[in-house]
Amino acid sequence: MISFKNVNKWFGELHVLRDINIEVSHGEVVVVCGPSGSGKSTLIRCINRLEPIQEGELIVDGMNVHDKKSNMTKIRAEIGFIFQSFNLYPHMTALENVTIAPIRVRKIKKEEAEKLGKETLIRVGLGDRIHHYPAQLSGGQQQRVAIARGLGMRPKIMLFDEPTSALDPEMINEVLDVMRNLAKGGMTMMVVTHEMGFAREVASRVVFMDQGQIIEVAPPNDFFTNPQTERGASFLKSILTH
Amino acid sequence: MWSFYFHELMRSLPFFLKGLWMTVAVAGLGLIAATVIGFILGIVRAGRNKILRSIIGAWVDLIRGTPFLVQVFIVFFILPSAGIELEAFPAAVIALSNMGASFICEIVASGILAVPKGQREAATASGLSNYQQLRYIVLPQAMRSIIPPLVGQYVLIIKDSSVVSAIGVVDVTRVGWLTVQRIPEGLMVFGLVGILYFAICYPLINLSNYMERRMTVTATTL
Repeated sequence: MISFKNVNKWFGELHVLRDINIEVSHGEVVVVCGPSGSGKSTLIRCINRLEPIQEGELIVDGMNVHDKKSNMTKIRAEIGFIFQSFNLYPHMTALENVTIAPIRVRKIKKEEAEKLGKETLIRVGLGDRIHHYPAQLSGGQQQRVAIARGLGMRPKIMLFDEPTSALDPEMINEVLDVMRNLAKGGMTMMVVTHEMGFAREVASRVVFMDQGQIIEVAPPNDFFTNPQTERGASFLKSILTH
Repeated sequence: MWSFYFHELMRSLPFFLKGLWMTVAVAGLGLIAATVIGFILGIVRAGRNKILRSIIGAWVDLIRGTPFLVQVFIVFFILPSAGIELEAFPAAVIALSNMGASFICEIVASGILAVPKGQREAATASGLSNYQQLRYIVLPQAMRSIIPPLVGQYVLIIKDSSVVSAIGVVDVTRVGWLTVQRIPEGLMVFGLVGILYFAICYPLINLSNYMERRMTVTATTL
């Protein structure tokens, strides 16, 4: 479903992704973790070309993402992307946030899109917040609207870039619950997060990154109980004792 | 004597209203054209093409850095030597639109750039095209910060339109010049001219203040 082959990326002089090779198959939930600045956000931002890569090949659902000839609209329509800071459109209601892309990109009729949009908002537990504006919602609710917005396009892949890092602690679980349900429903997901409980519970594999490299890839239980590398071990120690 | 002049001035009132109509026509056409051109330039100026961006930037600096009177003279007296002959009225409208567009361009560009980067990223990620991002996501948000200074700019355009009297457009300022030769009471004559400008500008100033307040309120609640 997602395949990185020898991917390299630089921000100017800074080598932010080094020889990345990883395959994510259909229905897999991959959690990406690592210290800040390790390149984990950049990694998933490359998948829908929010960031360009300079070397290597990145194939998503059979399409070459970094080929100029690829239809990016088509690729992006298959990928839902959730940001740390939600990035909801503040001038639109929850429902409008969810329906704008289906109407404008998928060209679905407005009534149809609204019906589907309402269903999606109900699915993330916001059936009673359909006509609220983002500013009228709590952080956790906003992030759930953002997830509904991603799901509104009926994507094959969902990418999460630290989806709970900007939330107050009591709101983290309502967002993780939605993500758990998605994972159990068979969605292909890549999640950058430090929520190790979530990783243990739903991840098929954990990818540990440091300094732009993938250091370790392992099933969550193996990684958490018995990391194979020094850096993995010290990272786990630092997040578990903080 | 004063009351005689005042009586004379009141008799010339239709002349002043004709001049006012000319001011409204020049300024009105000027600000419509300035708005259209200013938005187009502002969108490009906030865009990704570096060459276009710097060309527009240089032009805007040039226009903002020279007196409007000089610009009017260039359009009216100097362009004809390059084979572009214009009547006073179109020359006035062109000079005014160009000047207005330069200022509006900067207002629009900074409004667009003030929209958080994440908004565009979210729209990109969901597959919206560049045009759709601008139309549905960026511009509606940018309008909050564009409209109050835009209305303020309209007031400036209306007032600056008085400069076109220098090339013989019979606007309300020109009517003042002509009348004062007959009624040598400068304060009285130009007092009336001032009142007429104020009558158009004052509602706009109020509108601008009102919008500024309203935009700040919605910006904090949204």
